[in-house]
Amino acid sequence: MRRFGLFILGTIVALGQQRNFVACPIVRDTETVPCFLAEYEGETYYLGIQQDITSDFHPPQLKHEVLVEGRVAPGPRVCGGIPLQPLSISVLKEVNLACSTLLPAEPGLDAPPAPRGPGPSSRRAEDGSGAKRPPREPLTGRQEFTVPYAFNDDYLEYAANQVVTEAAAYAKRIGASNVKVSGYRATTVLSNGNHLVEKTGLAEKRAQNITTVLRGLGVARIVTESKNEPEPGDGQNDPSRRRVTIVVTP
Amino acid sequence: MRRPFLLVFFIIGSVLILSAQYQDRFKITWIEPGSGVTLPELDAFDSTEGTVGVLNASGPIKTEGHPFFTALGINGRACVNCHQPTYGMSVSTSGLMERWRTTDGKDPVFAAFDGSNCPGLPQEKESSHSLLLKRGLFRIPLSWPPKNADGSPKPVEFSIEVVRDPTGCNTSPQYGLKSADPTISVYRRPRPAANLKYVVSGGRPIVLKTGTLADVDPETGSPVSMNLMSDAREPSLKTQAVSAIMGHEQAHEPPSRQQIEQIVEFESQVYVAQQAHIFGGPLAVAGGPPGLGVTALRDHRAGVLGDNESDPVFGLFTAWKGNDYYRASVARGADIFMFRQFWLRDATHINSIGLGNPLKRTCATCHNSQMTGQDLSAGWVDVGTTNYPTWTEPSAESSELPVFKITCNRDADPHPYLGRVVYTTDPGRALISGRCVDVGSIVMQQLRGLAARAPYFANGSAKTLREVVDFYDRRFDMKLADQEKEDLINFLGAL
Repeated sequence: MRRFGLFILGTIVALGQQRNFVACPIVRDTETVPCFLAEYEGETYYLGIQQDITSDFHPPQLKHEVLVEGRVAPGPRVCGGIPLQPLSISVLKEVNLACSTLLPAEPGLDAPPAPRGPGPSSRRAEDGSGAKRPPREPLTGRQEFTVPYAFNDDYLEYAANQVVTEAAAYAKRIGASNVKVSGYRATTVLSNGNHLVEKTGLAEKRAQNITTVLRGLGVARIVTESKNEPEPGDGQNDPSRRRVTIVVTP
Repeated sequence: MRRPFLLVFFIIGSVLILSAQYQDRFKITWIEPGSGVTLPELDAFDSTEGTVGVLNASGPIKTEGHPFFTALGINGRACVNCHQPTYGMSVSTSGLMERWRTTDGKDPVFAAFDGSNCPGLPQEKESSHSLLLKRGLFRIPLSWPPKNADGSPKPVEFSIEVVRDPTGCNTSPQYGLKSADPTISVYRRPRPAANLKYVVSGGRPIVLKTGTLADVDPETGSPVSMNLMSDAREPSLKTQAVSAIMGHEQAHEPPSRQQIEQIVEFESQVYVAQQAHIFGGPLAVAGGPPGLGVTALRDHRAGVLGDNESDPVFGLFTAWKGNDYYRASVARGADIFMFRQFWLRDATHINSIGLGNPLKRTCATCHNSQMTGQDLSAGWVDVGTTNYPTWTEPSAESSELPVFKITCNRDADPHPYLGRVVYTTDPGRALISGRCVDVGSIVMQQLRGLAARAPYFANGSAKTLREVVDFYDRRFDMKLADQEKEDLINFLGAL
């Protein structure tokens, strides 16, 4: 009973720190790279800085609202906003011309160090040094790969593209007997209690797209399925349910 | 009072002497199909800025009987008609105007099929060829809806309506959208058939900008760069050659395998770059910027991303940061290209692919591939030249180009910055992909040999490099000073 009480308390605390909202993004110029911010209930939140297509954070876009799903992180404000971590950003598709705020640089509102300069660079954003990641242990046995998506989107971002490529390489290396592709769509519970549900047909479209890519990469014996019913949301882990899973069986 | 007069006299005299020298040394030549000339290993041609170099890396080329220089269809055209060495393996409006006068409009380059505004127009009239003569544009008739390789229609995400049709071709009962073979005519510049190892390099299995599979070379099965042509509709040099011969040359039979291989072999060994500037002198000099001149293009490795700190897109120009006015200007222009930050905004397939909108970066962010300045990934981008309101036409009513209204289906993703209804003079990649997000996106062009092949942009809207720079300055509110514009123009003209 006590354990259950602690669980409930923990959930309430976590939800209290969770910020799920839709807003126009705000771009704050700095001496280096711009910061991306968003306001919710009178408070400003720091989302991230301009980086690289290979980075984990893909900034929002003016002319579009952004769905922010993040947890208040400890530590000082960054670029004038409260940092959120972990954080998921989804650019909503419809154009909204009201989203146009670009603020000038101001003393004291600095961006965190940027890992790359202004032009093209062979450097990668992950560590800024150009050093290669250490090799990972080779995969064995049945493996599940999860392809993440932004809300209401079937675009395969760079990181997702890497997941599919890795899954394909693995399936081909072991001569997989079965590759099961499962597409999902999900629900996001906003902090104001409203629910946002991804559009009908998206689960199937995601799964079909991944299947097409896997086939193009030379993977055979693919079984494709999709769950059209949206995954329920809980307001905490909703981004993780917008996905396609690829299960590779030897 | 006397000194300024002497200075002006000296400058005018120098210009005349230098111009005369160039005229004597490099005659402008129009190669006709079947002329049987031999192209030297290294040739050089006059251009408005000095001399453009054309290098045949495999040695002199005998054109007699060569399929690139031989008419293979019914209209008397060969590849060379639109890819002339004199004009950097493309063709300029000055060259076309000269050709119109010389041949009284009878040169095959003016063939009714695509060298006129529309085949149904009276072909003897100069006005029927106005887009070619004034803007260097050939008609590109594309089936609508687009078709898969097996001939089946591709699914499309939008409807298309002809709003304005100054050439009459898109509303023509014979050639238009409502003809028996529904066709959309757009008008585009021919791209230089040179430096192609750079254009075709960098094929990756998944296109970064779309998250979808790249097209593959039908012969090898390997993914291709998708940087060929304005809309990436042909995957390889071989398929492009076949398509051009069947279309632009109006051949009844496809070329033989041997002919195709000869064409591709020729195209793959020819390099074009500016070699000399009329005031600045030779550009490819020992100790100078390593990326200039044709031999640099021949020798450099293809498919390399520029590194802004150590190995930029066109190499380092530090050797020219001295007192020589022209060279210092080029070096400053290179720095502007690499390092002058501005707000890149509302450019589909740049801002929309996870980089954010706006993006505080530089010219070289998009023009990132070493030696050519194309995009190393499949490079179609809506930079705003074709779509209202940033398009290059003065207005819809006075546009020389057709204007189309694109309406995206409700279940499709809209254009990222223009929404569900877009007015455009060229839907670009969308005519091939059928996707709303691609409306107005055009494959980025290489930036070599520019001075020889005006006008610029796929729609020939910029008559000069100055107009190119002005477009970007306006489009992205770069706030370039006059000196910065001059430096950028000198830099681009040196490539």
